[in-house]
Amino acid sequence: MPANWGYVLAAYGIAAIALFGYWRHLARRARALTRPRPATKARAA
Amino acid sequence: MTRALGWLTALGLLVGLAAGFLYAPREAVQGNVQRIMYLHVPSVLTAYLAFGLVLLGSIAYLATRRPGWDRLAGSAGEIGVLFTGLTIVSGSIWGKPTWGTWWTWDARLTSTAVLFCVYVGYLLLRSLIDDPDARGRYAAVVGILGAVNIPIVHFSVKWWRALHQPSTILGPEPSPIDPAIGLALFVNWMAFTLLFAYFLSRRMEIARLEEQT
Repeated sequence: MPANWGYVLAAYGIAAIALFGYWRHLARRARALTRPRPATKARAA
Repeated sequence: MTRALGWLTALGLLVGLAAGFLYAPREAVQGNVQRIMYLHVPSVLTAYLAFGLVLLGSIAYLATRRPGWDRLAGSAGEIGVLFTGLTIVSGSIWGKPTWGTWWTWDARLTSTAVLFCVYVGYLLLRSLIDDPDARGRYAAVVGILGAVNIPIVHFSVKWWRALHQPSTILGPEPSPIDPAIGLALFVNWMAFTLLFAYFLSRRMEIARLEEQT
């Protein structure tokens, strides 16, 4: 019976990249939404 | 609260990896490639949970029109697509050394691919409608209709002659799995459920913030 570790590593590697990538996407999106926006100066009339 | 859940999830995933690679024995027939099941099975069970919550959120939104239910449905749908994708990819990688092919149009595989496409369509629909109430209503209809596919996926191995093995965990008969392998599967299932809860909590918070901007 072949060891087949390559398939195991490929499956877990792809899962790790996908899950970590989604976590990072959520973290970036949350940071962008909670970042305080710079106050815009009211244009003088 | 979410941060604590995140750390608990990280711990759960580490314990799950240890259970799958150090505690569970090498399977007698399939060898090491069976360890992909500690990823594949929890992924599909998490996807079922996610799409079940899409159904719940969709029905509740149509009944109450409270935006929180739509946030739940939309967030769970996105995470469900992620875990369904992982299910398909990990199953395909397992299938190559076990069945000799990456893909076959077997009933379980085909119905899972249809499930994936339905919920990708659900997310696409949500992204195309700007009005929150119209988006919630249309998406709820798709979310309810899409859930019909969940029992089809699960029972496809009983209803049709399939290459995919019958259910060994959620089946009617007592599980024939070796106790150590069963425990490793259970630990990983719990870890993935924690991961789902963590992702859902963060995604719903983002949806709430998006509505405010």
